[in-house]
Amino acid sequence: MSRPSRRATGVTGGAIALLCALPLVLSSTWLLVMFLSFVWLILTANYDVLDGFLGHINLGQGAFFGLGAYVATILLNVPSIQQLGPLTHVIIGAAALAAAALFAALMALPLFRLKGLYFAIGTLILIFLLQVLALNLGPLTGGSYGLYVPPAFFLSTFAGYYLALLVALASVGLNFYLSRSTLGLAFRCIKEDEVAAHSVGLNLMKYKTLAIVIASVPSAAAGILFALNSGFIDPNIALGVERSLLPPLMALMGGTGTVLGPVFGTAIIRVLETVFFHYLRLPVPSMLFFGITLLAVALCIPEGLMKSRWVKRLQPRGGTR
Amino acid sequence: MARELELIISGVSLGGLYALVAFALSLTISTTRVLNVAHGVFFVWGGALFVIFSQRLKLHPALALVLLTACFFVLALLFQWGIVRSLLGRSTHRLLVGSIMATFGLGLSMESALGYTWVTFVDPYPVFTSPLAMFPVSLGGVSLSGSRLVILGFVLVMVTSFHLFLQKTFLGKGARAMAQNFDGFLVIGLNPYRLSMILFTLAIVATAISGAFYVLAVPLNPYEGLPLTLKALTVVILAGAVLGLAEVTTSQFLGAIWAPAVSLTILFLVLVLRPTGFFGKGVY
Repeated sequence: MSRPSRRATGVTGGAIALLCALPLVLSSTWLLVMFLSFVWLILTANYDVLDGFLGHINLGQGAFFGLGAYVATILLNVPSIQQLGPLTHVIIGAAALAAAALFAALMALPLFRLKGLYFAIGTLILIFLLQVLALNLGPLTGGSYGLYVPPAFFLSTFAGYYLALLVALASVGLNFYLSRSTLGLAFRCIKEDEVAAHSVGLNLMKYKTLAIVIASVPSAAAGILFALNSGFIDPNIALGVERSLLPPLMALMGGTGTVLGPVFGTAIIRVLETVFFHYLRLPVPSMLFFGITLLAVALCIPEGLMKSRWVKRLQPRGGTR
Repeated sequence: MARELELIISGVSLGGLYALVAFALSLTISTTRVLNVAHGVFFVWGGALFVIFSQRLKLHPALALVLLTACFFVLALLFQWGIVRSLLGRSTHRLLVGSIMATFGLGLSMESALGYTWVTFVDPYPVFTSPLAMFPVSLGGVSLSGSRLVILGFVLVMVTSFHLFLQKTFLGKGARAMAQNFDGFLVIGLNPYRLSMILFTLAIVATAISGAFYVLAVPLNPYEGLPLTLKALTVVILAGAVLGLAEVTTSQFLGAIWAPAVSLTILFLVLVLRPTGFFGKGVY
């Protein structure tokens, strides 16, 4: 639990300053790419709260994202809420975050009765259930036609960039806090051995519920930002399976349970995605290569980049945080 | 009455196929702890290859099935050799995450490879179904779809042989031992790599053949594989026939759009109330 070294603080500050200055030089396309990367980073960092710290594989992280996006967009389409002026944003934001947190807290009760594989399946069911609900509750959610954000409430990519950067920094900061606080210690204690954690007096259900709630709120915020920026959501965009499955892959690629793991994992996968889907004009579908890359990573670096031999060799004293 | 009987036959035959696919999936999960997300993709590939063999290459359906078995035998060996082997030695948590990630990547690339190949070389309309004409069978004044009966027969044969395999043969006993106590399995000197190879081969070949039978009755499209894995997981935990019946009756009374919601809700409730399934004793 040592304090971060001066060099680490300097590098982090420099990176943040660089990210803050970036919109001044980037074209609008690249700004959007960066914005979407931050959205993914938020989901990945939140996913890692449950995987890296609590030891539960949550394949339903996208449910919080979709819930935030849907609640915000549905509320924005209510005429009386549109006329509240600046209060509108506050209300829809608060309502969407509260909805996600409440959903997480309610779902914690049945979900945490499950362990390992069954927890993973249970959480995966959640996103499929929400997807089916969004598809079928046409009058409320627009069904498969989706929902439009009223043009007056669009979020420009420039503003979205900074907001998403802020939420992403908060998410990574949260993981940093967890990596060196008593709360995080309690989480990791539960990860290592639930019986032992219980016997030293930790209230398991309380900590698990807390973990899933704090992992849900930033993801919902990412959902709101995404919906306001894209102006349109439908069940596939907001609640697609990849919203749930890519965060684990990104976290795993970087290394779970490390603060910087999700950051590097997200960066690498986003670079691969951008290169495969937008730059290489391949004669065959890009998804093929993307899939093969995931497969190769899973087989070759099982512990993720941050814990792999090559990165450990670079570090002076073997610490991975 | 005739309508109800038809509903039951189609529900049970469809549910039986789901059950078979799910059984194959659970056989591999419970023994090796490798969650094969690409399982459903093998099912879709089975259906697609069967249609290519029997429809495009004009082979006799029986010959097509034999060829199909041979193809998937090789694919399954590659799958085991390339992926499962390197996953097996990991700790439980890493094994689970690693297997989800690796097989998800494999599933994605297999799906897109099939979708692309189908649209480019076979048919611009990417839905496949088998051309075999099945005459309706009359049974006591009720006419039943012949292909559904063929499926039902196939399911009964496969379920019986899987049951006999697990109960009577040495390999089947080994598989049960591996599922019940992995350390004990190692202590008595059995080889997990060899057994997992056999089990994955069995599971993948059975799944692919089920896919071939499925397209006799219901059309498939190349991108149905990954959702199908979830459906199979539903069945691992539920009883397969229950799911088939629930889906068919929901489609009948509430409309087809609610069928997935009902099966997912049932799955979620069962998962929470009886985490090891209706009949499971809890291996984990």
